[in-house]
Amino acid sequence: MSGIEIRFSGSGGQGLQLVARILGEEFSAKQRYVAISQGYEPTSRGGLSRADLVIGDQGKTSYPLVSRLDYLVILDQVAVAASKGLVHADTLIIADCERVTEPPSGAGKYLQLPLVKEALAAGTSRAVNIVSLGALVSCSRVCDPDALVDKISSSVPQRFIDMNIDAYQRGLTLGLDEKAV
Amino acid sequence: MSKLTNLQGNRACVLGAIEAGCRFFAGYPITPSSEIAENMAKELPAVAGTFVQMEDELASMAAVIGASVGGARAMTATSGPGFSLMQENIGYAAMTETPCVIINVMRGGPSTGMPTRPSQADIMQARWGTHGDYSAILLTPWSVGEIYTETQRAFGLSEALRVPVVVAFDESIAHLVESVDLASAVSKKGMIRKKAVGDNKSFAPYAVTDDCIPPMALPGDGFRTHTTGLTHGEDGFPTQEPLAAERAVGRLLEKIRVNQSRIERYESSHCAGADIVIVAYGITARAACLAQEQLQAAGIQCGVFRPQTLWPFPELAFRKSIESAGHVLVPEMNAGQLLVEIQRLAAASDKSVAGLNRIDGENISPSMIVERVEAFLDE
Repeated sequence: MSGIEIRFSGSGGQGLQLVARILGEEFSAKQRYVAISQGYEPTSRGGLSRADLVIGDQGKTSYPLVSRLDYLVILDQVAVAASKGLVHADTLIIADCERVTEPPSGAGKYLQLPLVKEALAAGTSRAVNIVSLGALVSCSRVCDPDALVDKISSSVPQRFIDMNIDAYQRGLTLGLDEKAV
Repeated sequence: MSKLTNLQGNRACVLGAIEAGCRFFAGYPITPSSEIAENMAKELPAVAGTFVQMEDELASMAAVIGASVGGARAMTATSGPGFSLMQENIGYAAMTETPCVIINVMRGGPSTGMPTRPSQADIMQARWGTHGDYSAILLTPWSVGEIYTETQRAFGLSEALRVPVVVAFDESIAHLVESVDLASAVSKKGMIRKKAVGDNKSFAPYAVTDDCIPPMALPGDGFRTHTTGLTHGEDGFPTQEPLAAERAVGRLLEKIRVNQSRIERYESSHCAGADIVIVAYGITARAACLAQEQLQAAGIQCGVFRPQTLWPFPELAFRKSIESAGHVLVPEMNAGQLLVEIQRLAAASDKSVAGLNRIDGENISPSMIVERVEAFLDE
């Protein structure tokens, strides 16, 4: 299909479903059909966790599960093996430089970024999901980066909005720096 | 322009049911259908409906039948083990001709099997699960949007025909979040329950009518009626008189046959002139459609026949769809359940029929279908 396939992966509790939902809302708001699937088993509470998006053509019911990833975010080494076979020469991988030591092979481009470090700088390592969302959007331009700010704000508790927006901006900056390189 | 909303499959089922007028839900939560009960508990009170968490699935089905006899549009939702427990009362609904909708989110079986993994292995249970001769209706949506619309259609068919209708989809679609146009409500024209009218003294609750659907009396309407799972005559009272018994059971079967055009729904894509036709339903049909694109790009004339109403199977349309094809492939997440039906339908022809089956709790991918088609055509 001519759509876009994106995977956020890591370990359970890193907030991967949330960032997939935020990004998915932006696509559907622009009248693009999106399908979001996730790992649905006990490991999503600690072991491997993933959230996949398939963005398709308008009005078309396409295959909703990923088969050839365009973008792969990896936040923990535990998630690497699950994406073997989905990575190809056009895949862009964004991985945390500390927590991912051996990325899957065969990707067209592999970015090791200090995602957790920037999340800590924003206030907590739990914001690594939002940092990675920023990095993905600025590297890929799959959507307008500014469009996600309101969606992030409305998706997190009131007292964490500023921290998450800071985390998002840090992610955008990481991505922009990489793009410049 | 229509507005798209991202919905989970199980939630789309709930919104579709409420759009269709469902005002009663009784159930016992079970993975992977639990979000249906959870969302019903949230949504039904807002429309003055009733949600009851029952002690088990036998009681759930009984409560749904009771609510429907009382006039409510009623449903339950479950998964494999719960669907097994409901079978006796599904038969009671069929025999008493009580409208009701049963959602079965299919997971790996038998028994408790694989609760979090997808499967399509309950389609024959939906057809033959309860005892005795009866005809079942099974709808098999392939997307979140279609769960929304097919749940609505299930209520319409159930009410109009006075039959239990099962909607079955697998765990993958149940938990998929997908963009849905909520303006896609199904027309309710002709999809309402026939109610008893006229002279209450001569009313026969199971009278034979041209369309084989007797009008239904509601409590308080003043009509004398009797509801029993025992084989009954037109007056509703038990009988074992051979002619009356044959008429009673025969009409249950005839009702589905004479109304088949109202029930059946299918899609046939590029089947005319095809060398091979893939017959698939649910999420596997979406894999088949992507495989079809890739096969056609490689010069293989490939059609896809997708029954949205799986039972009664759209036999005439299927036979027409395979007229030109020498090969028919049936991919499904079970050991070959629809395959047996397709082999039966194609038995009189010279078609070569094969299955592509997975029973390991994983989806059948488009690339698996492409590889199987290429190998099949070379055989």
